[in-house]
Amino acid sequence: MTLVKYLKSTDLKSWLAELAEKNSVFAPRYEGDSVIFAPFDPEQEIYTKSAATVPPKKTVFPQSEKLVDFTYHKDPENPGKTLIDGKEVLPQGTTVVFGGRPCDVRGFSMFDRVYLTKETTDIYYKARRDNTSFITIACEFTESTCFCHWVGSSPSDPIGSDVLAVPVKGGFLLTAVSARGETLLTSKLLLEGKPKVEEAEEVLDKVMENLGKAPDLSKSPGKLLEVFDNMEFWEKVSAKCISCGTCTYLCPTCYCFNITDEIQGLKGSRIRSWDNCMSALFTMEASGHNPRPTKAHRLKNRVGHKFSYYPDLHDGIISCYGCGRCIKSCPAGVDIREIVLKAIEFMPTVVEE
Amino acid sequence: MKFQEELKESIRKALPELDVVIGWCGSFDPLHATPHFIYGEEDIEKLEISPLNVHNLATYLPGMRGKKVGVVVKGCDSRSVVELLQEKLISRDDITIFGFPCTGVIDQSKVKKAIGYVGNVQSCDMSDESLVVVVDDKPHSLKLSEVLAEKCKSCRYPDAIISDYFVGDRIAKKDPAEPNYKELEKFEKLAVSERFGYWLKELDRCIRCYACRSACPLCVCRDHCIAESRDPHWLSQENNVRDKLMFQVIHAYHMAGRCTECGECQRACPVDIPILMLKQKMNKEVLDIFNYEAGVNLKDTPPLLSFKMEEENITEKDW
Amino acid sequence: MSTKNLYLPEIATIQEVIQETHNIVTFRVTLNNEEAMAKFKFEPGNVGQLSAFGIGESTFVINSPPTRMDYLQFSIMRSGEVTGKLHSLKAGDQIGVRAPLGNHFPYEDMKGKDIVFIGGGIGMAPLRTLLLFMLDNRDDYGKITLLYGARSPLDMAFNYELEDWLDRDDLDTHLTIDAEFDGWEHEVGLIPNVLLDIAPSSENSVAITCGPPIMIKFTLQALEKLGFKDEQIVTTLEKRMKCGVGICGRCNIGTSYVCKDGPVYTGAQLKKLPNEL
Repeated sequence: MTLVKYLKSTDLKSWLAELAEKNSVFAPRYEGDSVIFAPFDPEQEIYTKSAATVPPKKTVFPQSEKLVDFTYHKDPENPGKTLIDGKEVLPQGTTVVFGGRPCDVRGFSMFDRVYLTKETTDIYYKARRDNTSFITIACEFTESTCFCHWVGSSPSDPIGSDVLAVPVKGGFLLTAVSARGETLLTSKLLLEGKPKVEEAEEVLDKVMENLGKAPDLSKSPGKLLEVFDNMEFWEKVSAKCISCGTCTYLCPTCYCFNITDEIQGLKGSRIRSWDNCMSALFTMEASGHNPRPTKAHRLKNRVGHKFSYYPDLHDGIISCYGCGRCIKSCPAGVDIREIVLKAIEFMPTVVEE
Repeated sequence: MKFQEELKESIRKALPELDVVIGWCGSFDPLHATPHFIYGEEDIEKLEISPLNVHNLATYLPGMRGKKVGVVVKGCDSRSVVELLQEKLISRDDITIFGFPCTGVIDQSKVKKAIGYVGNVQSCDMSDESLVVVVDDKPHSLKLSEVLAEKCKSCRYPDAIISDYFVGDRIAKKDPAEPNYKELEKFEKLAVSERFGYWLKELDRCIRCYACRSACPLCVCRDHCIAESRDPHWLSQENNVRDKLMFQVIHAYHMAGRCTECGECQRACPVDIPILMLKQKMNKEVLDIFNYEAGVNLKDTPPLLSFKMEEENITEKDW
Repeated sequence: MSTKNLYLPEIATIQEVIQETHNIVTFRVTLNNEEAMAKFKFEPGNVGQLSAFGIGESTFVINSPPTRMDYLQFSIMRSGEVTGKLHSLKAGDQIGVRAPLGNHFPYEDMKGKDIVFIGGGIGMAPLRTLLLFMLDNRDDYGKITLLYGARSPLDMAFNYELEDWLDRDDLDTHLTIDAEFDGWEHEVGLIPNVLLDIAPSSENSVAITCGPPIMIKFTLQALEKLGFKDEQIVTTLEKRMKCGVGICGRCNIGTSYVCKDGPVYTGAQLKKLPNEL
């Protein structure tokens, strides 16, 4: 029997305060005019109406993290010689993230297929992934940039979450969707949830109705490869891109990173930080050669990766969960849906003899 | 807009000689516009002129050198074109400028604040004075003046300063006679610790996407930006608010007397950090010292791009 | 799942530095951890990430063969920040090593075949590991031909073993430079042209080539003329890499990650990938 509980909105902060006794708790709140995930602060209002401006990606994949600390020091037996010590810096502690959306949280399942494979395990990612729980809010409203249902997901998709919270009158119906989720629902502040189950189902049915019909994207992997060499196509669809990295940094499934060293005196760190394929430097080789020399090549790789290469490698799963942030926050209004559909619909011009 | 059809006619006339004309058209919802690249006749009809046309299209010009490009500009955008021409970053022969009288653009952040939630905009009807935005079947009536971008409220150049085609009736140069730095002046009166604290707080949420840089028409170092450069290695890639501030300060310094305050840096910022103020501060100093305003006169040389043996307002010897 | 830290380099000591040319040095290194060195296993073609701590990492092929495990050899052409720092190091200095990474030459499939090596400039490094491996397992392979070219004699690496290679009866070695040079006793001419002159038979043969992109382009054309099919040609690719394990996302050509699925590709495999070299 699934564990369901009812949380009154007025008890939300007290509940998070309880969880914060043993975990770092992140929740969405306004900073300036944007909604970001920040450490829970009982003095600040929690924003639960819609998806945050920035997804909670950083809780498992920080914007920047130390991989290795290193030190240069003299060999005590031979002062003319310098030795190096390198130590791994592993993340510690447990984290609970409240208020992500299904599209935000399901994004980590994209990471898992790359970061946690049979051959390679990224232990930094694993340490955070294993120790981070997600209490996800199902979407009660859809936005014009939402397209989760195009890519095999939905406003109440539980994949990657531990607890799914459905907004009902006066609060949330909390459903444990993992064993870990059940342990999160032991607080005395939580009330019996069964009487609210029907209401929650109605909320979810209504939102699905609003989403409308989704186009068929199953042909996107092949179609994107078909237009790969058509640079006129890519130049046109990328014309308004200004080559910033907003789309990638706000994307819950974009997982690329850079590794750089920082050193002061004899001590330093090797750092992993978010990187973005819209930047020319991403693929620039030391010789000066760049396999993706223009923004058209780079946008082609971004769209190709999500809608062609990734699904080809991972059982047809599109590496995009339709959160729409890349559309909504793009300073130039580039719309990835438009590009994918154009590629699917693209018919080569037949030249008449 | 009344002159929209006239503008389409001008573009239709010029297009055969051009590779592309950049304007605006509708976007993912009725509250947004997007840059629109017009290659042929079939693209012209989609062109729309409205207060939603926030993007400064001059940003695209330095990256399109060698092509014949037409660009539609608001008054403020035309100042960027002037500055780019002054700095020889684009060639006058390669560009065709379409100007119109701009009555101001809408600040999306203000609309969001006024309405609360704008996730699902169904329609947006605009008149000269107001707009009615329907969100989830509920109409919201807003006065245009309430949601106009700050820069538009004290705009002194509503008409394109430079153009090959100008459509519509010119709006005479408006007051004030001098740039308006009232908000900045208020901020300047705060104690250093308060100002520093303000920036540390605001910049903490910066995700280092550098949309501010990419949206800036005059940020032209592109692939050699100090943000990522290892030589010189001025910025660390750590998630460190001081590095984020350092980037903004360097950006602002490089923009002193060049920035036309189009505000694209701030508009592009996905987390709404009020970074335009840093550039305004530099421009205010440049105005004081050199009595110079960027991108207003094609014949001027920006003061920090030239050198004089004796500066009128820099009196080194009296120190 | 493995608990090994993919990003933590082994500390290694440079035992010997060889100045190969004005812009190439070779390091012979051993891992400081003796147990790790004793257990170290790799295949010809595997690469490693060398660290100059404080500057960063760069990718180099292990160009010594797995049959000679006294040290691991890397040859480094100066081209950027990391290689610049590595060039300043001396014997006794320490570096970080993450290896082995990537795939390897399909030497099992090459058994019993004639082998043609075609290397240009620093592109000789990845060929060296396989060449020495084959010489150490000489009976497994048929005729082995080596064509190694450089801009001038001054740009030719591995000078200390070229004499041996020329002298050997079981190796047909050809050296070439782009233009006449005083005292040069070998071939003069661009690699693809010399290759057409040597005209190795494509029958039951495999050609392994590595070098600058322009040389590869014309060498592939020459091989085609000689009757080599795509599946008889093997080459290695270079890309900007960071993680080296197929995660960080920059070295892909379509679905193939050069750091993990490469750097070794057959001509047939390359033809299937999107055109983004």
